[in-house]
Amino acid sequence: MNRYRQTLASIDFPAFGAVLMLTIIGVMSVFSSNVNAEGVIVSTDYVRQIMWALIGLAVLLSLLGIDYRQLKDYSPYFYLFLIVVLIYTRFFGKVVNGARSWLGIGDLGVQPSEFMKLAVILLLARYLDNSEHESDAVRIAKSLGIVMLPVALILLAPDLGSALVFFPILFFMLIVAGIQRRHLIFMVLVVASMVLFTILPLWEKYILIRPTGFLLLFYQSPYDFILLGLVIIIIALSLWGRISFKKPVYYWISYVSLALGIGLALSIAAHKVLKEYQVMRLIVFLDPSIDPRGSGWNIIQSITAIGSGGFAGRGFLAGPQSHNNYIPQQSTDFIFSIIAEEWGFLGGLVVFGLFWLLLHRCAAIMEAVRDRYATYIVAGVMGMVAFHFMINSGMAMGIMPITGIPLLFLSYGGSSLLTIMAAMGIVLGISARRYHS
Amino acid sequence: MNTPLDHSSGSSSLKRRIATLRGFSLILFVLFSAYLFSLQVLRGGEYRSRATDIARQSTVISAQRGEIYARDFTLPLVLNTDSFAVSIVPARLPAQRREEVFSKLAATLGIDVADIRRKIIPAYYHLYQAIEILSPVPYSTITKIAERIDEFPGVSWQSKPVRNYVETGSLSHILGYVGEITRDELKVLYNKGYKSGDVIGKTGIEKQYDQDLRGVDGRRFRMVDVLGKGVKAEKEEISPPVSGSNLVLTIDSRMQEIAEKALGERMGSVVILKPATGEVLALVSYPWYNPNEMSGPNAGAAYVSMLNDPKTPLIDRAIQSSYPPASTFKTVLTAGIIEEKAFPQDKKVLCTGEISYGDRIFRCWIKKPGHGWLDLAGALEQSCDIYYWTVGRDYLGVERIVEYAKEFGFGKATGIDLPGELDGFVPTPQWKDRRFHEKWVGGDTMNLSIGQGYLLVTPIQIADMMALVANGGIVYRPHLLKELRDPNSGAIIRQSQPEPIINSRISPETFATLRADLRKVVTDGTVKFPLNTKVVEVAGKTGTAEVGLVDHWHSWFVSFGPYDKPVSEQIVVVVMVEASNPWEWWAPYASDIIYQAIFGNQTYDQAVDTLGLRYLVPRKERQE
Repeated sequence: MNRYRQTLASIDFPAFGAVLMLTIIGVMSVFSSNVNAEGVIVSTDYVRQIMWALIGLAVLLSLLGIDYRQLKDYSPYFYLFLIVVLIYTRFFGKVVNGARSWLGIGDLGVQPSEFMKLAVILLLARYLDNSEHESDAVRIAKSLGIVMLPVALILLAPDLGSALVFFPILFFMLIVAGIQRRHLIFMVLVVASMVLFTILPLWEKYILIRPTGFLLLFYQSPYDFILLGLVIIIIALSLWGRISFKKPVYYWISYVSLALGIGLALSIAAHKVLKEYQVMRLIVFLDPSIDPRGSGWNIIQSITAIGSGGFAGRGFLAGPQSHNNYIPQQSTDFIFSIIAEEWGFLGGLVVFGLFWLLLHRCAAIMEAVRDRYATYIVAGVMGMVAFHFMINSGMAMGIMPITGIPLLFLSYGGSSLLTIMAAMGIVLGISARRYHS
Repeated sequence: MNTPLDHSSGSSSLKRRIATLRGFSLILFVLFSAYLFSLQVLRGGEYRSRATDIARQSTVISAQRGEIYARDFTLPLVLNTDSFAVSIVPARLPAQRREEVFSKLAATLGIDVADIRRKIIPAYYHLYQAIEILSPVPYSTITKIAERIDEFPGVSWQSKPVRNYVETGSLSHILGYVGEITRDELKVLYNKGYKSGDVIGKTGIEKQYDQDLRGVDGRRFRMVDVLGKGVKAEKEEISPPVSGSNLVLTIDSRMQEIAEKALGERMGSVVILKPATGEVLALVSYPWYNPNEMSGPNAGAAYVSMLNDPKTPLIDRAIQSSYPPASTFKTVLTAGIIEEKAFPQDKKVLCTGEISYGDRIFRCWIKKPGHGWLDLAGALEQSCDIYYWTVGRDYLGVERIVEYAKEFGFGKATGIDLPGELDGFVPTPQWKDRRFHEKWVGGDTMNLSIGQGYLLVTPIQIADMMALVANGGIVYRPHLLKELRDPNSGAIIRQSQPEPIINSRISPETFATLRADLRKVVTDGTVKFPLNTKVVEVAGKTGTAEVGLVDHWHSWFVSFGPYDKPVSEQIVVVVMVEASNPWEWWAPYASDIIYQAIFGNQTYDQAVDTLGLRYLVPRKERQE
């Protein structure tokens, strides 16, 4: 008991404060979204959110008492267990919004993909810590393997948004794992070119509207395969040049063309796997007016709500846009728009500031700890928080695609709240033990 | 590798990398805050006026649901009748006249005034949104309101077509009915463009082909202020609705009527299908329900009363009930015995009316002294249990019986285009061991050999069994959709093609022998007397299933004909009459009437008279 009190006294208080503040703001906002324009409470989601917040806090506090190094031995089992749960969910789960990604336990729904994020962070941290003597290529490949298994299962649900979160987690962890910069940049190039090649055709079709002919290369069979073949030839030639002449110019040609080639191949695969409406949802934010009645509607309404909040906001429970049901999924995907409408720029800035504080403290904890394993865990959690924050609040403001991932701490939903609370419990536990090595 | 140098350089590199992440966080924070500032503070006024003054609101224009036709594509079986929904916009109703308008409206609509008060609670009194009071409302009632519109401030009406099932009776199980989408359905169909309030097919063809029938709703956009009041806009924007496709079924109205009458008011089912394509020509299940009662104001009560009806009228007995096939299963055994050469066809077995096995005596359906010496053809002809018990148990064996049952499609749904089809069940020794922890014994094989025991099949599977024989080794998926047609031009959009579901490895010669044996069942065998139509040569097999009732059995007759014509001209007929009816051995008689009427080009009553069966079926209508 004494030891626990000692631990509690030495945790990172700014980070803990940010967690508490964000959770309270979340409960208030969910409550606000449950009230309609007449002031009548139309849903009791907020009661459940309070319950989840309390359970989450209990989980956080109890995880503080556990030394994070003990988690190392259990992480493979935790990971495998959740993989089995994900497979089970794929076949027997509940369908919500067209994705089979929920497990029903009594009245409550649980989303195993949320807990999977924590399991992946713990297992990746263990692997990266144990593999510092291995080459970069092996470490990247094995880490990708750990990540791709759950990602594939979640994509099958199909739940694109939840699957994407795993990549920034991986990337943040690889950065602190000391992977060489050119390899990291290579990965960024691959992802960027894949995204570009995937959305270009639809961008041309719906936003540019006039066909440009040249873009056919990227999606029309057989041109896309011809192009891919061409890229492969360039790669082969430059590799041959590199081996035969050992000039750096060949290295850089093969580096760039390989990145573009993999991106192109992945985008061809993405066109085969993703339905057009899925890609549309991803790009409609570029110009919501192309689909003002479908997914564009949410964006237009959300921007209008945020914009009309002004500097000081409309006041708690008084946002006309939010309470007249203009915005669907108000309590989950678009929770930020209700905050920004009711509390204005000041409120929005507080939320942004709290997230920044949390990320900033994560970096500080990483600097303070001596243990690499702990550093990796914190980096993964930091990647998760940053990505959720960037995508969700960006989506509400109309500058990020709609992917349906929640704003951590704030969005209604037990699974995501419990996951982030558990993750913060581990991170704060690390901060309290920062002088151990 | 852990030299001090490495370590220190590693940690300084780590510091740089953490600084990168820290920098990323800061940039993210600054950029997002700046964008939020521009959105809320710099452009805030613009958004605020947009939000307070006007917003775009859309109202749905319902798409016309497709009509459904029988195969001749003449008169629709289902169409949409013009009807209306009456609504009130509470805020347009002056407070002092509210009670007066409520009671007048209730009187005109013929409902209780409390119903209106329940829909428009005091909290809604200031709302500018229309609240639906009642639907469907006939045109005549609307004219009454329209004539005295001054007395009804705030009352309005919208067109809301209702589904009208012109032909009900036995077609109800095929057509199904529609209703408002439930929350659970919406969860699953969210990504397919459904939204709450949509009308959706609940069962039958209406459910199966909902996506084709429903069309795409249109929308009317107008600008409203934040309270929902309409604001005068320069022009109204409309995206027009797209009507759903019309469906043409494979059902032959005449055959459906004949089958319906031949079954009469007996719980059971009739299937008529064309073995050469899999087209279902008639599908009857009794008792049925009236789909028109499933929509409309009393739909809930009608549904509950049918759900509680012990006769279970909501179940389509042709595909959603499974029974022991009894002796019809001897068709499968016969095919197995011939194909496997398990027992010489001309070798005889003595039937003395009973045999003992284990500590039990198994009795043939005929009493002592039994059928005497029978070969395979004779055993099928007389439906002798002793023969099949002996050969099934000692020569063919349970493994091969199971294999042949599966070859004939049992234990697996046929995939007919109706929802809720059952798989039926083929028992195996492994299953019995798992389920009851008991060993499969010879007695179980004997039960299985005559289609009793744990074996369960649906009438549509029995029809496919006979289709396999008639076709000589191939079964096409039974289907009800003939084609989809464009609602305006009538052009064919999509046509069903025969889709093979069973390609049997059994030889054509086996099937030819089997067909000849089945023909003898009708000419010389068990149904020589009941099945005496002269207009067509029929081949088939009876079945009388024990279900534990005294003197009541399920009555089966499965057949195909004309025997002497190519398969393209043949039909398969299955009649199944449940044991719960008074025992009449009705299945062969009903089949007799069906063949006589179809191939003699007669009505049901003419066929009954021609066959001399009038003493069995009293006339329904008045006689002079």
